[in-house]
Amino acid sequence: MRRREFLIGGAATLGLAGCSRTPAPRSPSLISVVRAPAYSQDIYGTMRRILAQHKLRVRGRRVVLKPNLVEFEPESAINTHPMLVHAALEAFRELGASVAIAEGPGHRRGTLDLADAAGYFEIIPGFEDLFTDLNLDEVSRVRLPRPVSRLNSLYLPHTVLSSDLLVSMAKMKTHHWTGATLSMKNLFGIVPGGVYGWPKNVLHWAGIHQSIVDLHSLFPRHFAIVDGIVGMDGNGPIQGKPKPAGVIVSGDDPVAVDATCCRIMQIEPSRVEYLALAGGFEGIAQKNIQQIGETLDSVETRFELIRELRGLRRAKA
Amino acid sequence: MALPRGTPAPHLLRNIMTILETDDGTLANIRGVQNPDGGWPYRKGGSWTEPTVFALLAHLAARTAAPRNTEALAWLGAAQQSDGGWTPRRSVDHSTWVTALVALLPPEAVGPARHTRAVNWLLANTGMESSPIYRWREIVLNGKLPQGPDLSGWPWFPGTAAWVTPTCLGILALKKCYWRQPSSDLRERIDKAQSFLLSRRCADGGWNHGSQRALGYNLDSYPETTGQALLALAGTDPARLQDSFRLAQRFFLEHRSAGGAAWLRLGLLAYQQVPAGAPLFNMPCRTVVDTALTVIATAAEQGYNVFLD
Repeated sequence: MRRREFLIGGAATLGLAGCSRTPAPRSPSLISVVRAPAYSQDIYGTMRRILAQHKLRVRGRRVVLKPNLVEFEPESAINTHPMLVHAALEAFRELGASVAIAEGPGHRRGTLDLADAAGYFEIIPGFEDLFTDLNLDEVSRVRLPRPVSRLNSLYLPHTVLSSDLLVSMAKMKTHHWTGATLSMKNLFGIVPGGVYGWPKNVLHWAGIHQSIVDLHSLFPRHFAIVDGIVGMDGNGPIQGKPKPAGVIVSGDDPVAVDATCCRIMQIEPSRVEYLALAGGFEGIAQKNIQQIGETLDSVETRFELIRELRGLRRAKA
Repeated sequence: MALPRGTPAPHLLRNIMTILETDDGTLANIRGVQNPDGGWPYRKGGSWTEPTVFALLAHLAARTAAPRNTEALAWLGAAQQSDGGWTPRRSVDHSTWVTALVALLPPEAVGPARHTRAVNWLLANTGMESSPIYRWREIVLNGKLPQGPDLSGWPWFPGTAAWVTPTCLGILALKKCYWRQPSSDLRERIDKAQSFLLSRRCADGGWNHGSQRALGYNLDSYPETTGQALLALAGTDPARLQDSFRLAQRFFLEHRSAGGAAWLRLGLLAYQQVPAGAPLFNMPCRTVVDTALTVIATAAEQGYNVFLD
């Protein structure tokens, strides 16, 4: 084992001591649900308020924003909206952080072409200098301390491994294999296509849900900001329909963030396998989530599910 | 039966020097980012196998040697693994799909013995779904035989399923070997891999990464993989590919990426299907691979296809 592998593996093990798979008593996770009806200039102020609510201490720290870039369809709701990413960039900078943007799409190889088509070059000044294609970044092999998938290690990009805070900026979407793709599934994008290919099929063979949990175990307390302003329902994550939900969901416990998103989408989180695996009953239980901002009742909206996923439906609160 | 090649249409044959000489800046862009160790990065940073091979192929296409050709080939040679394959970069321990790229280089460039071992690695590797162990497991667990043994593509990473891009590159590499020295082993594997490609064609006539349907829903094709598949299928009956040509021509006029445009041009050229009045390359090349592909496609349009000649 290389020294770096050892250090990262050790850090992840330490991180796991406090992660959601541990049955020890826990304090409620703080999750904010903020109403945001449109991609407008208001988002910039909203994002500043979200970071203030969560009291993030990032002065002098390296923050990596990881959006979800999937397809060349700027008019659809496939990708995390560039205005939300720009708002986060500015808000983290105002807190004194050094901020980069990074992503490694799972199917399409032209990441910068994809970002261009999605409006990132237009909306984020100097985007190309801020951006790292995680598919083509330098990599190191990282041992998984307690794998639940068939993987025992993964090559991961240095940009993410060397960051002080990873911010998963997912899109609120249904997913035809996993039920929902949110902040945890978004971490598939940190697995380098330059090593594993397009798609990152090694994660599928190791078990999709289990691989999500293993990636989460390496970054158990990354910050999550889910773009639910306009999400996607139906046959997501690519061929679904835009679904305006008008919310941004954030927090430093990705399991609790994703469970909250599921409730907003009227999906029962305990029936989403990777959430049940990562959080257990306690981790996704609403009593263990301290929700601020909008109430669930006021923002939940029915995301249509394809026939194969209808068993995930949650009764309206 | 001889394994046919695709050929460019006579009306597309121009003086090979026109674009490559006047657009010498393209090759200069590639040369300008070569690393001191002889390899190339995708954009900047450490050397990777894929951009290194594409940089060398671009120079071959332009019929000129890379200025530090010897160092580049030495970097590649030193990266070969004990199993005969290549890893994507030095910090990775597993031989992968990039072995097909190295096998596209002339044997005299990488060394005949190294090249033979690369080809043997390709012949020995296949997608997990066509491996005997997996097929046996599927029969035992699910009581059904997975796709037939006559479909055999290549995976991106060992121990996973076959996909379109690595299969296309494997076919192109083995075809070059076959044309140099025909053998039944090579021919059989090329045929199986081409059958795999045809089995993965999407309902719209093109190809995506290699999954035409998910949960019963048709998935859409991509420009890059559609171009790659047409190039890898060069020489097969064009009557079977009319829908593919129409889709590729539509993609070609949309021009969303330099890499996509180059692969489409290469694929359509193999069947003399480049639409009249097709635009020249006008998309930004974001990586060494995109730039090299642009050079390679330009040379192919002018009569020298480094993948097929």
